[in-house]
Amino acid sequence: MSRGGALANALVFAALVAVAAGADATGNPYIVTLATKVAILGLAGVGLNLALGYGGLVSFGHAAFFGIGGYVTAILASHAAAGTPVITFPFTVAGTAEMLAIWPAAILVSGLAALAIGALSLRTTGVYFIMVTLAFAQMLYYFAVSWPAYGGEDGLSFYVRNSFPGANTFAPLQFFAICATLLGGAMILVALLTQSRFGLALRAAKENEARVIAVGIRPLAVRLTAFVLSGMVAGLAGALFADLSRFVSPAMLSWHMSGEIMVFVILGGVGRLAGPIAGAAVFIALEYLLGPVSDHWQALLGLLLLVIVLFAPRGLMGLVARRRHV
Amino acid sequence: MSEPILSLGHLSKTFGALTATDDVSLDLRPGEIHALIGPNGAGKSTLIKLIAGELRPDSGQVTFEGQSIDRLGPAERARLGLARSFQVSSVIPDFTALENVMLAVAGASGRTFGFVRPALRDRRLTDPAFFHLAHAGLSGREAVPARALSHGERRRLEIAMALAMRPRAFLLDEPMAGMGAEGARDLTAILAELKAEAPILLVEHDMDAVFALADRISVLVYGRIIATGTVAEIRANDEVRRSYLGEDA
Repeated sequence: MSRGGALANALVFAALVAVAAGADATGNPYIVTLATKVAILGLAGVGLNLALGYGGLVSFGHAAFFGIGGYVTAILASHAAAGTPVITFPFTVAGTAEMLAIWPAAILVSGLAALAIGALSLRTTGVYFIMVTLAFAQMLYYFAVSWPAYGGEDGLSFYVRNSFPGANTFAPLQFFAICATLLGGAMILVALLTQSRFGLALRAAKENEARVIAVGIRPLAVRLTAFVLSGMVAGLAGALFADLSRFVSPAMLSWHMSGEIMVFVILGGVGRLAGPIAGAAVFIALEYLLGPVSDHWQALLGLLLLVIVLFAPRGLMGLVARRRHV
Repeated sequence: MSEPILSLGHLSKTFGALTATDDVSLDLRPGEIHALIGPNGAGKSTLIKLIAGELRPDSGQVTFEGQSIDRLGPAERARLGLARSFQVSSVIPDFTALENVMLAVAGASGRTFGFVRPALRDRRLTDPAFFHLAHAGLSGREAVPARALSHGERRRLEIAMALAMRPRAFLLDEPMAGMGAEGARDLTAILAELKAEAPILLVEHDMDAVFALADRISVLVYGRIIATGTVAEIRANDEVRRSYLGEDA
């Protein structure tokens, strides 16, 4: 990572923290919640960026992992509230309202889903890969819609935000701090990954697959690993998103959600570490500022996206940091 | 005579009604350049793909350094030291020269799944990469992105990458395609350099180059090898003259 790139990434993260802290100090809890939403959606984008930005894997189905993370959280939390086990066969799994137990479960389940979906879809490339990942996510979406045990179309609510040792997760700034810490951790992890041996192979496979095979590396193994890690990060983001609104619905699994996560990445800059955070921040800010003015605020978002793609193809982060792969 | 590094035993491959490779047996001996020539559509590229593992033969075996490699995929074969080069210049343009060679070192080591340590600070990658770059005459150019290298430098980078794989045999598929006369001269020198490292199976269209460089030549026509021999033997072979070289050869 270049020094300028690292600085730009740190600045974006610091700006998000400053907005949340400032809003809390001036008594604007709603703004803190918006900043939390940016952190969570940014985290999902950081996850997708690992596959899309560094691996060149244009997944149009990351809502699957985001939604799975959300449903795992809501299912565990609702069973904990009702005092019933989630499953009793082949072993008993009790519900839980502890974030520290929920996160590993969300990461594990979304990782397994990414392993299955990736193993099948990574055999295709280009537009077929986009369509196959979309198809898998839509399958899960319709499954959730038709699964009455957990709310079906109406979604599933849980009334108490899950707990974290030593924190009051209902205090907006404390929940923001939890989400921002995970976001920062994920950014460090992705930064390390992309600079490692593995990252070298992943970035090379994106640019020249034949060359990678010629040096004795199997691109499928490298890509599948990246895809699974990417799905796990998106799953963790989904778990936090469920806790933010204490509600999950099939919308979390829909292609709109996949598209939104992709928009964060493209707006902010494909393959740029803090890009998805910048992208999510712009998205949320537009929604907040223009949403009350007109229901058609997304038309303006579309226009902005068009301008970015045409005039700043490296995204918002690309405007400030020049070198690639920051 | 020493044991061949690479030997093909009765390889056959058909695509529908087309027999692209028809009972081909040949071997590559230590220290030689073995050229494979033949008219367009003779099945040269198919044969190279069968050797590299990109295609599976219908029958026959490929033996590399005394062991069967029929069950191995292209990446595994590359890791054993079967170095493949391509018709087009094949480096990673966005990577620096150093990163390109580091990729080859990492691939050859078989250890691609390091997740935490920055590759640029991993001396098991950087030390061999610096060595091979220096060896290829690219000292001082390590930090330059491959896209910014001159054409000649990029060729040298490819050599550095090939040598970093600790090759035991080279498969070169028309390395002179699309190069001017100057490039072809350049490559002639490069082939001599590679030959010092490991034997070369060379598919080439340019007859002048083949007759100048090859120790042995096999002629492939309609998927069959119709003759194998030294340059002089091939020049003198009547069947080769009739079916391929033409009367004026």
